Order: sequence, then C-alpha cells, then structure tokens
Amino acid sequence: MTPKPNNRKTSEKTTAIEIRGLGKVFHTDLGTKVRALQNIDLTVHSGEFLTILGATGCGKSTFLNLIAGLDAPDEGSIRLSDGLQFGENIGYVFQHYTLFPWRTVVKNVGFAQQMRGVSKRARKRKTSELLSRVGLAGFENAYPHELSGGMRQRAAIAQALAMKPKLLLMDEPFGAVDDATRGDLQNMITELWQENDMTIVFVTHNIDEAILLGSRILVLSERPGRIAGEFEIDLSRPRDRMNSEFTDIFMEIRRSLSGQLD
Amino acid sequence: MSKEELKTSKPRNYSKLIRWIAGPVILLIIWQAAAYYYNQPWIFPSVTKVLSQLAHPLRQHYASGSLLSNTLISLLRVVIGFCLAAVVGVTIGIVMGSVSFIRDIIEPVLELLRPLCPIAWLPFAIVVFKLRTLPQLFGIDYSHTIFDQVQLGMIFVIFVGGFFPVLTNTLDGVAGVRRNYLLLAKTLGASPRQIFFHVYLPAAMPMILTGLRQGLGLCWFVIIAAEMMTGGDSGIGYLLMYASDNSAMDIVIAAMLIIGAVGALLAFFMRRVMNTFISWKPKEI
Repeated sequence: MTPKPNNRKTSEKTTAIEIRGLGKVFHTDLGTKVRALQNIDLTVHSGEFLTILGATGCGKSTFLNLIAGLDAPDEGSIRLSDGLQFGENIGYVFQHYTLFPWRTVVKNVGFAQQMRGVSKRARKRKTSELLSRVGLAGFENAYPHELSGGMRQRAAIAQALAMKPKLLLMDEPFGAVDDATRGDLQNMITELWQENDMTIVFVTHNIDEAILLGSRILVLSERPGRIAGEFEIDLSRPRDRMNSEFTDIFMEIRRSLSGQLD
Repeated sequence: MSKEELKTSKPRNYSKLIRWIAGPVILLIIWQAAAYYYNQPWIFPSVTKVLSQLAHPLRQHYASGSLLSNTLISLLRVVIGFCLAAVVGVTIGIVMGSVSFIRDIIEPVLELLRPLCPIAWLPFAIVVFKLRTLPQLFGIDYSHTIFDQVQLGMIFVIFVGGFFPVLTNTLDGVAGVRRNYLLLAKTLGASPRQIFFHVYLPAAMPMILTGLRQGLGLCWFVIIAAEMMTGGDSGIGYLLMYASDNSAMDIVIAAMLIIGAVGALLAFFMRRVMNTFISWKPKEI
C-alpha cells in the first residue's frame, strides 16, 4: 500500500467556512423558546475532515443545516469561501431518507447530474464509476427499499459525490447501521476523503467515530449548543482503535465530556 | 416430499376456482328457478332471456341503439370527462399542496362544493351548456360520429364527479411529501421547477393514482345516473331507464350486468396501472 497523505495539512490553510457568533432559536408549539445554538465561532479549513461530536439533540443537525443554507441563522454569520455554493458543490448526506425511494440506485446517483442537464450517456459513465467505487456495482437497478441500510448509505454517498462536492456535510450518516458495516463505511469515507479534494464536516455522537475519522474534533455542549472543546487529531491513517495514542485521546475526550454525553 | 406437495397444490387451486364459480352459478340457478316459478317475464325475466340479450349486443332497441353502442357512448363520455378531471385535478392538487398561500384561498371553496352530489350539477349544466355537443364546441354541427352523443353538460357532470377524489388525494399526497426529499433535491441542485417534476410528482404518485382510481369509479357511477335523468337521449343508463319504462326487464338486467362488468373492468385496469407505475411503493426508507 502506498503511503497516503495523513491530514493533508498545507503550510497555509485556506478557509472554507467562517462562522462568527452563530446562534439559532427555535419556537416550540407551546410558545417557549429553545436555544439550539449559541455564539459559535468556528473556522473550517479547506480540505480538513472536521468531526463534530455531541449528544443527540444538541443542535448538531441544525448546525449543518445552517451551513448548507437549508435554514437561516438568528444571530451571527456564516461565510462560505473558496468557491463554495449551495446546490453546486456542497454535498449533504442525511441519516434518514437519503435516497428517493421512487428512483433506482443508478437514477438516485445520477440525480444531481440530471438536474444539471448532463447527457444520459455521460451520466451513466459517471454513475457506474461511482457505484463501483462505493461497492455497489451490480445494484444499479435496485430500488432503495431493496437495499440494506449500509448499502443505502453507500448509494447516498455516491449520490452526493456525483455533484463533485468541495464540501461534504454528513449528519450521523452511519448511525443506523450495524457495527461491522459501520467500520467498512468509515474506512470508505476516509479513503474517499483522501482521494478527492474535499472538506468534510461530519456530525456524530460516537467518540470513537469522531477520532477515527476526524483531523479535528469539535465538541458541542448540550442546549444551547456551544463549542465545549476542540481536539486536533494527528494520528496516521488508517487509524487503529487499539493504538495507545488513540485510546489516550479517547479517554481525554471522554473526561472532558463527562456528564455531557449519555 | 416436494413432488407430493406439487400434486396436492393443483387440486387445491381447482377447489378455489370451483368456490369462485360456485357463488354466481348458485345465484343463476335460484334466479332461473324463481323466474320459471314466477312466470312474469315483464317483471322478472329468466336468466336465459337476459343472456340472449347479452348474446346479441348489436340488436337495436327503440331509437337509441344497441346495448353495445350505448355502452360505448357512456364509456366515451366517461373517458373524456375523466381525463379532464384528471388533468385539472392533479394540477390544482399539486399547486395547492406545494403553495400554502394558494391552498388557503381555494380550500374553503372546495370544501363547500365537495359534499355536493355531482348529479345535483346536472340541471345547472344542462341550462348552461344546453344540449351542445363536443363537435359543436369546435364549430362542427354534425360530425356523424359517436362524438355527436357527447354533450358538454354530461362531460361537465362527469368532470365534477371525478375532480374531487383526484384533487383531494393529490393534495394529501403532495402535502405528505417528506421534507427531507425536498431538502435532498435542493442540496443536489434542483430548481423549483425540477423539484416539482422530480420530487413532488413522483412522491405523490401513489396517492395521485389512488385518486384517479376512485375518480374513475365515481365517474362511471355518475354517468349512469346522469343518463337516467330527463334530458338524456343515449347511453347505457338511458337505455336501462327507457327499457324499464317499456317493461323490457330483460334489457334492464342485461344493462345492469354490463354496467357492473364495465365498472369492474375499469377498476381492474386502474389497479394494473397503479402496480406498474409504483413498483417502489412497498417501503419508504
């Protein structure tokens, strides 16, 4: 195996996303206000694999939606740079409903290109290439409901990659699959990140997953979501969970979180 | 073991077939016996008399034509009215379902008109459209085809009958489209127009087809009733009523059987269409 770049750190980091004083408030049906996010300052660098770690319901998904432009912030600002544009080169992989159930796998993966008016033949070439990359060759004409959870997420990743994203947002994408499958998917997404020139912001509630994938980990506190900690992960890839450095970081994050998760 | 199972499965299928046929056959036997015993064919004709009518679908009755020609006229009216209802109902349904502003404006009016029986529109339709026919709409007085029997008033009533089930089901289907599919499409760069055609329409398709199936069934109900009203001069419903006035109960019952059979065929056809169109429906993920 040829050595692969680890964290693709360049001497000068270009900024992909700049977030200043970000806040979001939700109004419940009962009329009470719930502060989902408060005063978040964050700079996401181009090409980094940022994992955001937080308990369920701490506003992680809201955070991603704000970055994606699917929701508007109440306070603060989000500035996308480096040519990032929603609907153009920002991919989003959701945890649920990641595929259109009325489309076959190949048509799901080809969706973004179809919307851009790419010819059928060019689309087919690209999608079959992507499908074999994510290990779904032979499932072109299957419907999503005929696939396992892991295969669906593979298809969803291929669907997002088809738009050649410079930024890939992932909202607990492996939360609903079994452990073995999750391991495969984690390896795959790491490789895809290394092969392609893209920034990934990956949300999870799983410390292990955050360390395994991220070049940087951001810990979000619960209600309101605030940045409670930041960890640079310098381990070489592919990472080994049994490595003592890995377990040290795990313990450190675990301690810093004490009481926040679970 | 498996061979034995194969052997036993065949007679089982036969027994199911026999059970299926048994009901109608028993009914026919009772009917025939009762008619023979009653012996008043102008009130209660025998099976054989009705069957002989069905065996001669081209026989002319009165001035209105044959069983077949009248059935075709009714069917043509339904098809035209239903297609109109389908196009308008689906379009309005999707627009209402996706734009809440428009929905708020239209919905109260619809809720007022919806409970109204479509037949109640008939007198109104006859006054408004007189006896104008479809060819006359295009400036042709007599096309000398079956289309001369397609009165605009009839079309309107069928339209009303089919429109509401189509609309309400489409509306529910569109309003029930998961927000996530819309977000996903937006993320992947779909324009509002593309979202309409590639998300709303396919996601709502199962409900739309359910609406179309209900609508078509209702249209077939409505046309029979409409043709039986004063003002009708053709159609299987008209023939049924006319034959009844002339104590030709064999024709009446033959017409009833045809109406039932056509309705069942339409339902069967729509179910087939549904199954081919939405093979993905078994599970949303």
